Amino acid sequence: MSAITENKAPGSVPILEIRGLRKAFDRVPVLRDISFTVNTGNVVTIIGPSGSGKSTLLRCASFLENANDGDILYDGQYAMKGGVYAPKKELNRFRTLFGMVFQNFNLFPHYSVLKNICEPPTLRGCDREEARERASELLKKMGLEGKENAYPCQLSGGQQQRVAIARALALNPEILYFDEPTSALDPELTGEVLKVIRQLAEDHMTMVVVTHEMSFAHAVSHQVIFMDGGYIMEEGSPEQIFENPQQERTKRFLSNYKK
Amino acid sequence: MSLLTMILKMSEGLGKTCAIFFLTLWFSLPLGMIVALLRMSKNKIISSVIRFFITVLRGTPLMLQLLAVTYGPYYLFHANVSRNKLIPVVIAFSINYAAYFAEIYRGGIESIPKGQYEAATVLGYSRFQTFMRIVLPQVIKRIMPSVTNEVVTLVKDTSMAFTVSYQEMFTIGKQIANSQTSFTPFIVAGVFYYLFNFIVDRVMGRIEKRLNYYS
Amino acid sequence: MKKVFALLIAAVLLLSLAACGASSPKNDPAVAGRTGFIMGIDPEYPPFSYLGDDGNYTGFDVEICQAVCDYLGWNMTIFGVNWDEKLVQLDSLECDCVWSGMTILDSMKDAGYVISKPYYDNTQVLVVKEDSGFASSADLAGKLVAVQLGTSGEILLQNDLADLAATFGDVITCDSFLKCFTELAGNSVDAVFVDLPVAASYAAEHEGFKIIDEQLGAEQYGIAFRSGDQALCDAVEKAIAALVENGKYAEIAAKYPDIVNNLLFLND
Repeated sequence: MSAITENKAPGSVPILEIRGLRKAFDRVPVLRDISFTVNTGNVVTIIGPSGSGKSTLLRCASFLENANDGDILYDGQYAMKGGVYAPKKELNRFRTLFGMVFQNFNLFPHYSVLKNICEPPTLRGCDREEARERASELLKKMGLEGKENAYPCQLSGGQQQRVAIARALALNPEILYFDEPTSALDPELTGEVLKVIRQLAEDHMTMVVVTHEMSFAHAVSHQVIFMDGGYIMEEGSPEQIFENPQQERTKRFLSNYKK
Repeated sequence: MSLLTMILKMSEGLGKTCAIFFLTLWFSLPLGMIVALLRMSKNKIISSVIRFFITVLRGTPLMLQLLAVTYGPYYLFHANVSRNKLIPVVIAFSINYAAYFAEIYRGGIESIPKGQYEAATVLGYSRFQTFMRIVLPQVIKRIMPSVTNEVVTLVKDTSMAFTVSYQEMFTIGKQIANSQTSFTPFIVAGVFYYLFNFIVDRVMGRIEKRLNYYS
Repeated sequence: MKKVFALLIAAVLLLSLAACGASSPKNDPAVAGRTGFIMGIDPEYPPFSYLGDDGNYTGFDVEICQAVCDYLGWNMTIFGVNWDEKLVQLDSLECDCVWSGMTILDSMKDAGYVISKPYYDNTQVLVVKEDSGFASSADLAGKLVAVQLGTSGEILLQNDLADLAATFGDVITCDSFLKCFTELAGNSVDAVFVDLPVAASYAAEHEGFKIIDEQLGAEQYGIAFRSGDQALCDAVEKAIAALVENGKYAEIAAKYPDIVNNLLFLND
């Protein structure tokens, strides 16, 4: 949206910065001192065992959970500073910068596919016809041509997740979060969703993907973060993490995935 | 008295029965939503006060509530009893039914998955938009069967207005039964209520069908 | 399907009608070996039958009935009927009689019920607020009048006094006599049409009410028994006669000064 970020070369400008983020549920720490940066055009995958805080991290970044301490910056501006959130109005502005794809799709069951995708931009003041055209375009890109008038319940899980991705993209986010986008899908349906995400990566969409699909993470990411016990244990290029992990924990975790 | 005269006389009261029915729905359906939202309020005082009132309204007979609303002000403050009995009747019915509807709404609202709210928030829906566009339409579909139950009960409950001397259909039936020493008016009343609910059932069924475009 | 259902309903209705009209001649020889007697009363009809301050039912009729049962050696039980359906309840054996300031109606006799000799001559009056300025029934033209559902007053207004009722603005039926007077006290009706003794005792106990001096529709009270219970009726009547004879009747009646003048057995 801001012209500045679009003109810079991919991989050089930070869109999301997180510093010293802490989060506890009922005094049980889930995130302890998390810091990392996502640059425009990059794909960051977060891997790690269940309960390591991966999803909570994404939910804090998207304001679905309140972190207890730390900084969150979008486009160099503070959304949270030292555990204090920016005013509601500011947060709403930051919300326009990111999109989110959930594990359980969270499509609106009472809306047609088209309305699921079109209503959010329309509510933000986008022209109805324009939103419609953009929706059709996105559906085509997702391989869902002609599904405009279907209801979510009439679609397979993979199709629903692709609609959810289209819905998030319709708002032209600067950065897109995926919270285990294939975990709720039957194995044979994960491929179609991963293919779409890969396509977005080729288009230089900035994305943070929490996933258990290691080969996908290996192939698509610019940066891989391995989390365990609320810490970032290791961070680096996919080659570093998958081929030459430094930490004992990382090695052990990855060994479970090698067939 | 011929059966026809009996039926004609009783249908005069049917208008008043309908008045109770429709006015009660008109007021209690939205009022129930307000009560449900207050009941779910994060403010502990508000939610527990509302909760208390709901238990009182659901835990005491509607007939007592009718008497309290109609004659209570007189016994407490020597205020005049309303000449138009429709007013206290509709007030008592609306409050009572709002309490029932509130609990139905609450169940419906609480059954909407958290993910729906989260998706809406991330997509930029305001809290009001989320409620009106995302939550409420799904709630309505989920609660339709329970609402239908209450509406059917309401049809029959209108007969309780006799207790505060509102001259609706059943009261007239009782008068005729008395003067004629005959049970027939009660049977006529039963048929009236049955037909009324037959229509209610059809209408609600149609609405439920309309909401079946998704599952 | 619909037609079948309609027929079914019709059949049920007919059956229930038939059941209501049928008399039960079985319970005839009950008097000789009888040990118990269930008195059907309207529990809210002072001074004839009402819940006393001590929580027990009392009233003129209740006391007389107790005396009758004592005399005959019966065990008396009191059953509070729903006044609107007293005869149905009598038929369904919930009580053995209806004895509670009950106006004798021709329709009861026509329906086959055994009715005792009248013991009380009742008169209907209008009760208004003292400060209202109403002095006759004519003053109440266009006004609201309350009457208790199921009382003789209500029936009078529908039949013998229908012309008078037509001059009223509306007749409101309440399901208890207390409600009639509450409506009057709360100014939602202008007058209550009620039995004279009830009016007299209420006006005596509560301030601000007066009885319009105009007697409307004379009528008489009796005791109703099921058709076929003539023997039971005779036994009760004989016992009452004995009580009148031995002075017990007058003794009880003396406790109820409002009605004593209307008691037929004492004024013959």
